[in-house]
Amino acid sequence: MALEAQGRSAPEPPEPPSDRAGGARKGRRGLAPYLLTLPGVAWLVAFFAAPLGFMFLFTFYDGTIDIGYSFTSDWPQTYVEAFTTYDTQIIRSVIYALIVTVATLLISFPMMYWIAMKGGRRKNLFVLLLLLPFFTPFLIRTLAWQLVLSDQGIFLGTLKDIGLLSADFKLLASPLAVISGMTYNFLPFMALPLYVALEKLDPSLLDAAADLYSSKREAFLKVTLPLTLPGVFAGSLLTFIPSIGDFIDAEILGNPNTTMIGSIIRRQLLVNQDYPTGAALSFLLIASILVAVFLYARALGTEELTG
Amino acid sequence: MNDFDRIMSGISPRAVPRREMLRRIGIGAGGASMAGLLAACGVEGESEQPAAKGKDPLSTAKVAGELNFANWPAYIDKAKGGSPTLEQFEKATDIDVQYKEVINDNLSFYATIREPLASGQPVQWDLIVVTDWLIGKMADLGYLEELDHSKLPNFTKNAGAIYKDPTYDPNNAHSVPWQSGITGIAYNRELTGREITKTEDLFDPAFEGQVGMMTEMRDTMNLVILSMGINPEEATLEDARAAQEKLLKQREDGILRQYYGNDYVQPLAQGDLALCMAWSGDVLGKTLGSDSKVDFIVPEEGGMLWTDCMAIPQDAEHPVDALEMMNFVYQTDVAAQMTAWINYISPVPAAKPILAKANDSYTRQVADSPLVFPSKDMESRLHSYKNLDPEEEEEWNDLFNEVIEG
Amino acid sequence: MASASPPRRRTKREWILPTYTGLVIAYLLIPIVVMMLFGFNDYPGKFNFVWEGFTLEHYRNLFRIPELTQALRNSLVIAAITSVVATTLGTLIALALTRFSFRGRSSLNLFIFIPMATPEIVLGVSLLSMFVAVQFARGFLTVLIAHIMFSISYVVVTVKARTSGFDRSLEDAARDLGADGWTTFWTVTFPLILPGIAAGGLLAFVLSFDDYVVTAFNAGATITFPLWIYGASRFGIPAQVNVMATLIFLLGVAYVVISLLRERRRSAAPDPTGA
Repeated sequence: MALEAQGRSAPEPPEPPSDRAGGARKGRRGLAPYLLTLPGVAWLVAFFAAPLGFMFLFTFYDGTIDIGYSFTSDWPQTYVEAFTTYDTQIIRSVIYALIVTVATLLISFPMMYWIAMKGGRRKNLFVLLLLLPFFTPFLIRTLAWQLVLSDQGIFLGTLKDIGLLSADFKLLASPLAVISGMTYNFLPFMALPLYVALEKLDPSLLDAAADLYSSKREAFLKVTLPLTLPGVFAGSLLTFIPSIGDFIDAEILGNPNTTMIGSIIRRQLLVNQDYPTGAALSFLLIASILVAVFLYARALGTEELTG
Repeated sequence: MNDFDRIMSGISPRAVPRREMLRRIGIGAGGASMAGLLAACGVEGESEQPAAKGKDPLSTAKVAGELNFANWPAYIDKAKGGSPTLEQFEKATDIDVQYKEVINDNLSFYATIREPLASGQPVQWDLIVVTDWLIGKMADLGYLEELDHSKLPNFTKNAGAIYKDPTYDPNNAHSVPWQSGITGIAYNRELTGREITKTEDLFDPAFEGQVGMMTEMRDTMNLVILSMGINPEEATLEDARAAQEKLLKQREDGILRQYYGNDYVQPLAQGDLALCMAWSGDVLGKTLGSDSKVDFIVPEEGGMLWTDCMAIPQDAEHPVDALEMMNFVYQTDVAAQMTAWINYISPVPAAKPILAKANDSYTRQVADSPLVFPSKDMESRLHSYKNLDPEEEEEWNDLFNEVIEG
Repeated sequence: MASASPPRRRTKREWILPTYTGLVIAYLLIPIVVMMLFGFNDYPGKFNFVWEGFTLEHYRNLFRIPELTQALRNSLVIAAITSVVATTLGTLIALALTRFSFRGRSSLNLFIFIPMATPEIVLGVSLLSMFVAVQFARGFLTVLIAHIMFSISYVVVTVKARTSGFDRSLEDAARDLGADGWTTFWTVTFPLILPGIAAGGLLAFVLSFDDYVVTAFNAGATITFPLWIYGASRFGIPAQVNVMATLIFLLGVAYVVISLLRERRRSAAPDPTGA
């Protein structure tokens, strides 16, 4: 395999006669790449970057729609107030997201390990089977869980009728239900990056480890795990970040004591229409994420972000 | 920052400085010319008819043939995928009605129209139905058209006396009632195991995780204040704070399951809730009938009586068509037809005898029910919301938000 | 080829992982099964949560609820447009990123990644902030704008996966045979990266169709399928929703089956690209 790779990177073929746009030129056609990327980048700048700027500016203002907004020099107060009023929810969201990330990791790692290493020809089939449930809208899946887990529903109701459970046992409207729901919904976000990393693992490395008399466990800890770390990192990010902002699971499966910061932000913006506070909370959310990611990256010792 | 300043103040061009705003509230429902105010603010004349915002806006305008009507779900009679009342209206007036049940919560709905109203842009709705306190608030802000009562003869003729000239909208200048309702408690007899009679029951630890309260601040706060033995119309901020403490404890102790808008009916039916705050008409249908497990009660300590009203947002495109609808539903037979289905309190007393003579027993039971046509005794146990001025409203909202935002 | 070891009996210990995988997959399917099942439920009134009996009436009267049908239609249209636009924009970027080396390339890589790493709520809120500030009314158009925005990154990543492993020697061969750049692109390059583009397009479609959070903030009065479901969820979701979701799910299953079949057929035939 190494030889093949060498052969691939043999000296570049000589410059072909025709020199028109569309070919793979290095740095020659200065404009082509910029033209290609222009529409997409323009769209993202206009509708991703600029809005973030607007949201940021909103935090410097004070007021309501009815009386108009005016710049306030006391703007740090907005952030401080937002944080102190809703610190419970912010911390709760971080904690739930962490639990969900760990849970998805623990659940999907063994599974994706088996599929990648031992799945054989049916690898893709298994991965697709795994992804199949996620073809239905996420709302529907969560609502289905609400139905399945409802106090007197098919599952709990039957158990209660037989007498296996006490009449007031409930699964819903609890942190457990919320975290379970979130774990369910975010599983592919962890599973897929793990799979990609595990799949790239070269089995001959494990063979080499075995040749060097390492036990299976050692091989796993010293070879597999470190090599799949980028996948773990990517999966963790892709799971943690959306989880922290998720609020649908909490609204459908939880109770008011499990309210996530996302719900608060939604309420501030769509009901109270307190844009400054909503914007400040959004930035606090982003800040929490950046801090968490930074700490995590340091802990893992890897800077590989985009892969 | 300067450009942004301009953009931001552009959100509500009419209300640039606060002083201007207060001045406008002072003028309020008197109907000063908007065009005049705008000119005073230095904003050029709006494109829509400035004359229409004057003293008698609607008497000169004509029926346009189209009506955009926003309402709460299950708030109009339904049959075979359509609504008899709406169909009859369309036939009688040739006005095409776009009826959308988009209102689930006063504040959430208000949030969807507040911006255009604040900046003088047209709102997509010609006719909306919101609760009395919001009517008062919107009227104060100048967000509602003044009604031309010469076009509402049926209201004048058929509406009950208590519905005319209410405190939240003197002389019905901006609204006429749609239906009234009672806030009380609904419960599942099988799940509670006993009769429920008081608001205090909602705080009983025996029902841990099975109790529901409402997201409507006024309903919840006022009901709790009643349970503390205080008349809500005289409640002070201290009372509100005490109510808040009680609610916080209810949530923290796990007694409360969830705060609901008008979506408590399913959890109640499903068995997720044993008892909850409820609105009379939502559950009435479930309480009638011999095998019903659900009951609705007005708590011993007292319940709330509120009125949802029809109003026309400022700058609506088809205001006269809205007036036609307002007038239409005040005919006694139409009112009876609506209440037979909606099961809330009709503002037309003459609807009762019509329902009492109906063919099917369900409708006759509705006619008999004190929840639909309250007796004097029932009325004595019902209270109105406390009128909150903007400052008090903010304080009460802050207290309440702390409760529901977990 | 992988180590061609003769098939051997699996020891008991080796059954643990496959069984575990099977259980997890089954667990993942529980809500789907429930959803499909209740599409056949013959329930009285509005609440579809207790099994009453089997019926096909919801399949027959699929479009009985006009607002639901309208919402479904809105979602499909928005998803289709989003898919086309986002795929176009994203593919262009992916091509530029993998075939050229230019200044700002790594920053661009990072910039593309960030929207994917931003919580949906932040995306929704920021867009709403901008629309409110410039007084742009929320509705169909704003939903479309938002959906295209968050889909672009996903398309880029998907297409890049296909174009970065691309073997240039094929293009060179084409050019050696006298084709110009344009022709080369359309006859050689494009068909080969097409699966990647198609995957990106499909991903954009699904992301748009499913989206709730960003849409909720920017939809104004427009109702999409997920928005309608969320609104109806408090009052009893009609079984028509289950049926629609089931049909969409089956479409997904069909797609999976077809692509698997095609892959099997392709692995049987000789592969010219060596990919």
